[in-house]
Amino acid sequence: MTQLILYNTFNGLIIGTFYVLMALGLSLILNLSGVINFAHGGFLAVGGYLAYTLSPYIGFWAALVVAPALTACIGIAIERTLIRRLYGRDPLYSLLLTFGLAFIFEDMTRAIWGAQGLPFTPPSFLTQPISLDYFFITYYRLFMMAVVGVVVLGLFLFLRHTRLGVRIRAGTLDLETVSALGVNVRALRTMNFAVGIFLAGLAGVLAGGNLSLEPTMGANVLMPSFVAIIVGGVGSLPGTLFGGLLIGVASGLTTVWFPSASEAVIYVIMAVVLLVRPRGLMGEEGVMS
Amino acid sequence: MKLRPDLAAIWLVLLTAPFWLPLVHGYEALGTRVLVLGLAAMSLNFLLGFTGVLSFGHAAYFGLGAYGAGLTLKLLAPSTPLAIALGMLLGIAAGAMLGALIARRRGVYFAMVTIAFGQVFYFIAFRWNALTGGDDGLRGFSRQPIDFGFFKLDILNDLTAFYYFVLVCFAGALAIMAFLLRSPFGRTLLAIRENERRARFLGIPVEQHIWLSFVISCAFMSMAGTLYALLNNFADPKGLHYTQSGDFVIMAVLGGMRSFWGPLLGAAVFVVLQDYLSSVTTNWQSLIGLMFVVVVLFFPRGLLGFLLRKSQA
Amino acid sequence: MSLLEVRNVSKSFGSLVAVRDVSLAVEPGELRAVIGPNGAGKTTFFNLISGLFAPSAGAIVFDGRDITKLVPHRRVALGMARTFQITEIFPELSIAENVRIGVEVASGFRLRPWLRRVENNAIKERMTEILTLTNLSGKANRIVGELSHGDQRAAEISMALTLKPRILLLDEPTAGMGDQETYEVTSLIRRLHREQGFTIVLIEHDMRVVFNLADRIMVLDQGAVLAQGTPPEIAANETVQAAYLGKAA
Repeated sequence: MTQLILYNTFNGLIIGTFYVLMALGLSLILNLSGVINFAHGGFLAVGGYLAYTLSPYIGFWAALVVAPALTACIGIAIERTLIRRLYGRDPLYSLLLTFGLAFIFEDMTRAIWGAQGLPFTPPSFLTQPISLDYFFITYYRLFMMAVVGVVVLGLFLFLRHTRLGVRIRAGTLDLETVSALGVNVRALRTMNFAVGIFLAGLAGVLAGGNLSLEPTMGANVLMPSFVAIIVGGVGSLPGTLFGGLLIGVASGLTTVWFPSASEAVIYVIMAVVLLVRPRGLMGEEGVMS
Repeated sequence: MKLRPDLAAIWLVLLTAPFWLPLVHGYEALGTRVLVLGLAAMSLNFLLGFTGVLSFGHAAYFGLGAYGAGLTLKLLAPSTPLAIALGMLLGIAAGAMLGALIARRRGVYFAMVTIAFGQVFYFIAFRWNALTGGDDGLRGFSRQPIDFGFFKLDILNDLTAFYYFVLVCFAGALAIMAFLLRSPFGRTLLAIRENERRARFLGIPVEQHIWLSFVISCAFMSMAGTLYALLNNFADPKGLHYTQSGDFVIMAVLGGMRSFWGPLLGAAVFVVLQDYLSSVTTNWQSLIGLMFVVVVLFFPRGLLGFLLRKSQA
Repeated sequence: MSLLEVRNVSKSFGSLVAVRDVSLAVEPGELRAVIGPNGAGKTTFFNLISGLFAPSAGAIVFDGRDITKLVPHRRVALGMARTFQITEIFPELSIAENVRIGVEVASGFRLRPWLRRVENNAIKERMTEILTLTNLSGKANRIVGELSHGDQRAAEISMALTLKPRILLLDEPTAGMGDQETYEVTSLIRRLHREQGFTIVLIEHDMRVVFNLADRIMVLDQGAVLAQGTPPEIAANETVQAAYLGKAA
C-alpha cells in the first residue's frame, strides 16, 4: 500500500510540475495582457517536436535549450502579427484567436510529424531508475523536477531582480503608470509573451522525454493549468505555483482510492475554492473581478 | 430590429428547406442540424451579444440537454416530449447553480471559470461509463413518434416530419427570446451590455439580471441539446467539451453578435464549411482555425454586421 | 433636517489617504459645489457618497437614513442619481432608448416581460417630459455615441432625471467642453436647480460655472476640507487662493 501511495504521489508531483510550468506561462500572459492563451498547449507540443527533430543534430542537452527558444520565437512572431492587434478590444476576440490558433497548431503538428506517437529518448543514463524498489523514480523524472525547480526559481529571480522582470511585474499592477514612465509597453508585452511561451516549449521537451510526443499532448495539460491558476488565485504567481502542485498531488493521491475520479478531483477542488474563497487561495482582492 | 419582408423571407426559406436542400447538394438532416446548432448559437448569443457576457463553457448545457434526453428515452419512457422536458430541466438546473456561483466575476476571469466548469460535465460524461457510455457516447435510444391523439407524427422514420418538428420547437424558442429581448427586462440586458456601470447607477441589480439571462440562455441551449440527441439518436461527450463551446461562440460572432438572426447564419456557414472542408482535405482543422483567426481580425461584427454596414454607407 | 449628511468620512487605500475626515451637510433645494486642485479627492468623495466603495471611517446619512453600507443600486432606489466625469451612457442606443430604460427601471418594470398599453403610454409621457426639460426632444432618435460632448452630457443628465432623484451628484459635468457646450450644460443645470428645485452637488474645475451656479462651496485639498462658505466668502479666502496657485492646476 505504501508503495502504491508513494508511486502515485510521486506521479502526482511530476504531473504537478508540468501544470506549474504551463500555468506560470499562462499566468504571465494573462496577468500582463489579459489574454487567455488557448494555444499554450499547442506551443508545448511544438516545443517537444522541435526538440525531437533537432536532437539528432545537436544532442539532447542543446535541444533542451534551443527548442524552447525557437518556440518562443514562433510565439513572438504570432504575438506581433496577430495577438497584438486585439489588446484594446473585448477579451472575447483574443480568446477566439488563440482558440483558432490551437486548432492550427494541432493540425499542423499532425501534418508535419504524423499522428502516431513519436518516441523522444533522453540520454540513457537518465532513464535508469534510482533503485529497484523505487523503479518508478527514474533519474529522468528527478531531472525533470529539478529542471522545473530551477526554472521556477530562475523565473522568480528574473521577475525580482532584472529590469525586464520588474517592469513586467509593475505592468501587471498598473500598466498605465509604467507606460507613463516611458517603458515601451508593446515590447514589454512581446517579451512577456516570449517568456511564457518559452516555459510552454520547455514543458513540451520535458514531457516528450517522459512519455511520447503526439499532437494532442498539450491539450491534456491545458485545462488543469487553468484550474491551477484559478485555485491558486488569479494574479498571484506563487499561488499558481502552489495551485499546480496541489492539484497534481491531489490528482495523484486520488488515483490510489478512486482511479476514475483522478481528473474530476481537480475540478472539485476548484469548485470548493471558488465557493469558500472566490479570489483563490493566494489571490488578491479585486483582481479581475 | 428587422423589417417584416426580411422576416417573411427568412421563414419562407426555413419552411421550404426540405424542398430546396436537395437541389443544392444538401440533405434533410443537414437542414435540421443547422436549425439545432443555430438555436444553440442564438441561445448563447442571448447572453453574449445581448447581455454582453462571455461564457465559454456553454456547451456544457447543450450536452446536458442531449444526455438528459437520451437517458430519459433509454431508461424512463419512450416519450419525446418528456425527453425534451427533462433534458431542459437538467440544463436549467445546472445553469441556475453555476450561474449563481459565477455571476459576480467578469470578463476574462468569468470566461475561464465557465470553461473549467464546463469541463467538469465533460469528465463526468466521459468517466461515468456505466451511465453515459463513456467515450463512445450514449446510445441505445431513438426519438419516438409523437402521438397527438388524432394523428401520429412519425419523427423517427420520417426525416421531413422531424425537420418540421424541430422547426416548430425552434420557432417557439425564438419567439420567447425575441419577446423577452423587446421587453423592459430585455432592455435592462442591453443596458448591461452597453455600460454596466451606468446600468448599476440606474438602479439595475446587475448580478441578478445577468443570472437571469444566463439561466434563460441555458434553457434554450439545453433544448437545442435535446434536439441534437434526437437528431442523431446519440449523445456525444464531445458535445460538452470546450471546443464545442468555442464553435458556438464563433458561429455567433461569424454571423453577427449584435443581430438576432446572425448566429443562425453563422451556424449555417460553419456547418456547411466544416462539412465541405472535411470532405476535401485532411487539414480541415487548420482551415477552421484559420477561419477563427480571419473572422476575429477582419470581421468582428460578423457577416450581418458587415453587410449592414455596407447597406448604410 | 439636511437631505444629505456626510459625517467625518475618511477613505484610505492602503497607506494612501484619499479622503480625510470630511463632513458635509446639503439642504434640500441647495446647489453645493465641491472644488479643489487635482488629486484633492473630490471624485473619491463622490464615490463614497454614491456607494462605489465604503468609507474607512465615518457615516453617510441620506434623508435621515444611514446608507453607509448600502450598495449603489439601493442608493439609487432611494433617490440618489449620479453622473460621471467620463460620460457613462449606452453608446450604441438612441437617446430615447437610453432614457426609456431609466424610466422603466424607475417605474418598477425592470423584470417585466411585457407592458400594458396604459403603462406604455405613461412611460412615453415621462420620456417626453424629461427630454423636453433637457432640450433633447429633437434628437431623441439619434444614437448617443454619435452626438457632441454637450449632448451626451445632457443625455446622461436626462438618464439621472428618470430616477426622480431627491439629489443629483454631478461629477465635472463640463469636463472637456468648449465655451458653447459649457454654456448649454450650465444653463441646463441652472434650470434644474432654479425652476425644478433639484438639490444638486457638483464637482467642478471651471470657476465661472461654480460661481455662476453655487449656493455654497466646499473646497477640498489633499483629501481634507480647506474651506466652506458662500461664493463671495470662498473667493476672498486666502488659503483657498494659495492652494490653487501653489499647485499645478
